[in-house]
Amino acid sequence: MIRRHLTTIGLLAPPLGWLFAFFVVPVGIVAAYSIDVLHGPSLFGGSHKVTLAAWHAFFHSSVYLGLFWKSVKMSLIVSAVVVGLAYPVAYYLALSGTKRKYVLLLLLIAPFLTSYLLRVLAWKVILGNQGVLNSFLVWAGLRSADHPLSQLLYSRFAVMLVLAYVWIPFVALPIFVSLESFDRRLLEAAADLGASRWGAFLRVTLPLSLPGVMAAFLFVFIPTVGEFVTPSLVGGTSGYMYGNQISDLFSAGFPDWQTGSVLALFLLAVVAVLTGAFARLLQVRQAAG
Amino acid sequence: MDVALSRNGRRVLRTFFVLLLLFLYAPIVVLLIFSFNDSELPSFPLSGFTLKWYHQFLTNPDLRAALGTSALVAVLSSVGAVVLGVLASVVLVRRRFVGKAAVSALLLSPLVIPYVVFGISLLLFFHAVGIPRSILTVVIGHIVISLPYTILVLVPRLDQIDVTLEEAAADLGAGPFGSFRWIVLPLILPAVASALLIAFTTSFDEYAVASFVVGSRATFPIYLYGALRFPNRLPQVIAVAVVVMVLSLVVVVSAEIGRRIAERRLGTP
Repeated sequence: MIRRHLTTIGLLAPPLGWLFAFFVVPVGIVAAYSIDVLHGPSLFGGSHKVTLAAWHAFFHSSVYLGLFWKSVKMSLIVSAVVVGLAYPVAYYLALSGTKRKYVLLLLLIAPFLTSYLLRVLAWKVILGNQGVLNSFLVWAGLRSADHPLSQLLYSRFAVMLVLAYVWIPFVALPIFVSLESFDRRLLEAAADLGASRWGAFLRVTLPLSLPGVMAAFLFVFIPTVGEFVTPSLVGGTSGYMYGNQISDLFSAGFPDWQTGSVLALFLLAVVAVLTGAFARLLQVRQAAG
Repeated sequence: MDVALSRNGRRVLRTFFVLLLLFLYAPIVVLLIFSFNDSELPSFPLSGFTLKWYHQFLTNPDLRAALGTSALVAVLSSVGAVVLGVLASVVLVRRRFVGKAAVSALLLSPLVIPYVVFGISLLLFFHAVGIPRSILTVVIGHIVISLPYTILVLVPRLDQIDVTLEEAAADLGAGPFGSFRWIVLPLILPAVASALLIAFTTSFDEYAVASFVVGSRATFPIYLYGALRFPNRLPQVIAVAVVVMVLSLVVVVSAEIGRRIAERRLGTP
């Protein structure tokens, strides 16, 4: 028995040790930088004692908090749009009884498996002032060459469009899974009891697929709220997000590691609370169901 | 009567599905078209067919070096992640112990950390302990990111394996390692292959974390990001984009089909 415990520990040691050393400890180091226990380039540097100055400044800074809310709003819109677009498609694949549903599902997911940067690149090529879309409009005589649609690239719209484009295939999956495991006899029962298709959808299918929908929502929200790659490529100044601010505080220009650490930890805390709340909700639902 | 969809509803949803697929594939098709277009600027009207962008990227030493670096990083990190993932998955499926929920939460937690946060965490960590940035620091980060994906692939497969098989092996004198080597490993091999592939593609495509911890040798996404800022390199990059996209689609789709066939042949034990 003891030997068995020892092998359990022995087997777990490498993966847990790896995550501890290169995941938990690094996050702890960020915390150390945020209260100035460790020093890097910083606005508050040189005090050489534990200080909450950067945290205090963060919670009183309309710039950083404003940027955070802007990112949250953009990310909420993207998540809602993506889930709204993916739901009907997942519903169609899971419940229409089409024979080739797995082939169609693979077709839907396949773009997600290709390079992220390259899909962003595609939109950069399409949306630019002299890009594919504008030059096509000019060529087709729908728009004069002097007045291209200039708000397309380097805007908040471009960031949200590209993020939605990137995440749709991925989000269809959890919704599909929750609808696929769904018992069609429940719908037959609802119909027998006089419910219309819409009524059955609203009162049976939708509530039962809600955990999948919420998981999908969270799967988009978490990576997009901290996104910095897409905004830096297609966002310009108006599409600048919280993640860009974090990234910039650690880049070569005007680094401020202490403030950057505070921003990063705040984002991590928000994401952790959301994830924890969602996991708890699932447990409660399972216990109740 | 179909209880889930009326005939009209089905028609509407099918149309919607087709439109969404068009939206998803149109940008990829645009890249494909302009990779053969004989002009520095990707814009209409098309100006003739050329293969020179493909030829240029094949002869571009920086680009080829970056592809090589990424391949190396992806091989090292996917093997590392899968080895750690197999160990963790075996314990999660086969053993009961105190704190199991906490352990599995920790193992899966890299799934939900924003990459920008993880990237700067690693940057500060390597800075604090004095490890210079190199491709090894990228490998370390990519193993952390890929590990939960390998566990998510391996655990369901291990779950399907009947414990009595291993008990029979033990009765016949096999040690724990022997029964793993001769019974469990062959049965989970298709899942191991899937996990390797997922970890490989994750690493090969990863920019965010790598951008903070990469040394002087650029990985492919790092090179690509840099090239996106120079308009004259754009057509070349588009050609690479097409090649990489087509290759990754072919590999992933055929691997998925291969896994299905292999698992069917092995049966559900």
